[in-house]
Amino acid sequence: MRYLLGIFLSSTLLATTAFAAEPARAKSMDELLRRVEAGWRIDKSQSADREQMFKQAREQQKKMLDDALKLKRKLETQSKVLEEKFQQNEQSIAKEQSNLRDRLGTMGELFGVIRQVAGDTRSQLSESLISAQYPGRLDALKVIGKESTTPSIDDLRSLWLGLMQEMKASGEISRFQAAVVAPTGEEREQTVTRVGPFNAVSNGAYLQWMPEVQKLSELGRQPASRYMSNLNELETVNGQQVRAAVDPSRGSILSLLVQTPSLQERLEYGGLIGYLILSLGGLALIGGLMRMVYLLRVRVLVRAQCKTQTASDDNPLGRVMKVYQDSPGLDTETLELKLDEAILKEQSTIDSFLWAIKVVSVAAPLMGLLGTVTGMIETFQAITLFGTGDPKLMAGGISEALVTTMLGLIVAIPLVLLHSWLRTLARRMIDLLGEQSSGMVARQAEARVGD
Amino acid sequence: MVTLVMWTLIFEKLIYLAKVYPDQCKAYQATWRQREDKESWHAHQIRNELISKLTQDLRRSVPMIKSLIALCPLLGLLGTVTGMIEVFDVLAIAGSGNARAMAEGVSRATIPTMAGMVAALSGLYWAARLTRRVEKESRKFSDQLELTNA
Repeated sequence: MRYLLGIFLSSTLLATTAFAAEPARAKSMDELLRRVEAGWRIDKSQSADREQMFKQAREQQKKMLDDALKLKRKLETQSKVLEEKFQQNEQSIAKEQSNLRDRLGTMGELFGVIRQVAGDTRSQLSESLISAQYPGRLDALKVIGKESTTPSIDDLRSLWLGLMQEMKASGEISRFQAAVVAPTGEEREQTVTRVGPFNAVSNGAYLQWMPEVQKLSELGRQPASRYMSNLNELETVNGQQVRAAVDPSRGSILSLLVQTPSLQERLEYGGLIGYLILSLGGLALIGGLMRMVYLLRVRVLVRAQCKTQTASDDNPLGRVMKVYQDSPGLDTETLELKLDEAILKEQSTIDSFLWAIKVVSVAAPLMGLLGTVTGMIETFQAITLFGTGDPKLMAGGISEALVTTMLGLIVAIPLVLLHSWLRTLARRMIDLLGEQSSGMVARQAEARVGD
Repeated sequence: MVTLVMWTLIFEKLIYLAKVYPDQCKAYQATWRQREDKESWHAHQIRNELISKLTQDLRRSVPMIKSLIALCPLLGLLGTVTGMIEVFDVLAIAGSGNARAMAEGVSRATIPTMAGMVAALSGLYWAARLTRRVEKESRKFSDQLELTNA
């Protein structure tokens, strides 16, 4: 810093010495006087010149001021004239406008109504599927809808024609070429069959009208096959009557239908517990059916056995009777004991596996309840995280809760029926063995004694 | 449908008790009376056989009726659950604002429960009566088969 200051000071000093050195030093007083006098004279003439110059400039400026004032006056008069003219114009405009209003009369209201109708029609037509067949029909209506213009006769005619066209097209089934947006996003030119304003179908798939972009798109998920089965017929037929599904709500029912989950998806909602219930139920059902076949076969054999005297080995009654026939000449008490033993042995084979069906039929609804509880826990977790604002977030847990209950019941109901029937069969068989076999044996013995 | 089956079974049972059973009862009694020997072990076994045969015929389809009655509320519950699933489907699609769309599911949820309850309650009385009647008849029959030679 100090170094900088030093440089600065020395440079100013140098400058002052150089300035002082320019006029040569006067050698004597006379010369100095002469020099001062000459200088004074020069100064005087210079100042006179400058005075002259200033005076001239003043003259000039005065003249300019005069000119400007003159111009101002001229412009002021001009503006006054224009202002008057403006006022006149304004008055005449008001007069003309009132004139127009008088002459328009009820027509003003009419145009208002037309604009309103045009606006309504435009929104209606843009929502309508028929716009796919007649692209560009909305443009004419756009012109009429504008506030500033007065609709011309042609515009009115186009509005009228548009309404008529919509009416006519709503009642017909037509086929036309149109661009269709596939689920993959690409656009293709396809033959589209349109059923009134309700459905559009192309290549065996339902289409959806997208009013925002004024385009047809293929539904990414199609409804159940029973709604689809007649589409091909609908697309190829000419003039005959065909049965086909039509959505009277112009697509909204169809879009709901598409969103309803299929059976497979419903099962998936059930989650792990759902699959567990189903597999358990399936096992129990298979076991129960096998049991049923066995019991029915045994019943047939036992009935056959009832009719003959000879005991065969292939059925429980025959085996019990064989015990008697194999040991003739026993006293009654030993015989009864032997018969009881044989019957007990048969009982366990007849009754086997029925308990398992019973257990599954009771456990399935309980497991369904378990699934319900886990589903509800999930739901409440969703509520603690996101609040109750969005029911859609809760729906996942709730559908798990309900689907598992449903699966539990679906498994339990046939099993309860099956079990009750099988138990009746088994009980009759056991009763028959326990109470009737000894009677039969007794009768045979009597018959033999009688012989 | 279950209710229909249940009522068919109940009516069948009632008709059986009124028409077929007395004849059968008499036939069995006649076979018993024809016997001269009524005291030996063989005779007791044959008596037991007769009683068991009749009781079996009497009891047939009573357990089925009972299990059908138990099934009715279960089916009602099933209907309720499917109805609720429908309600939540609607809820997931349309949000909670559309009460009218949900109403169908709700009615589908409540009506089966009601129907199941009504069917079960109406069946319950007849099932209990039938069971009692069956027990009484079988006891009466075994009383009628006297054990000694008159």
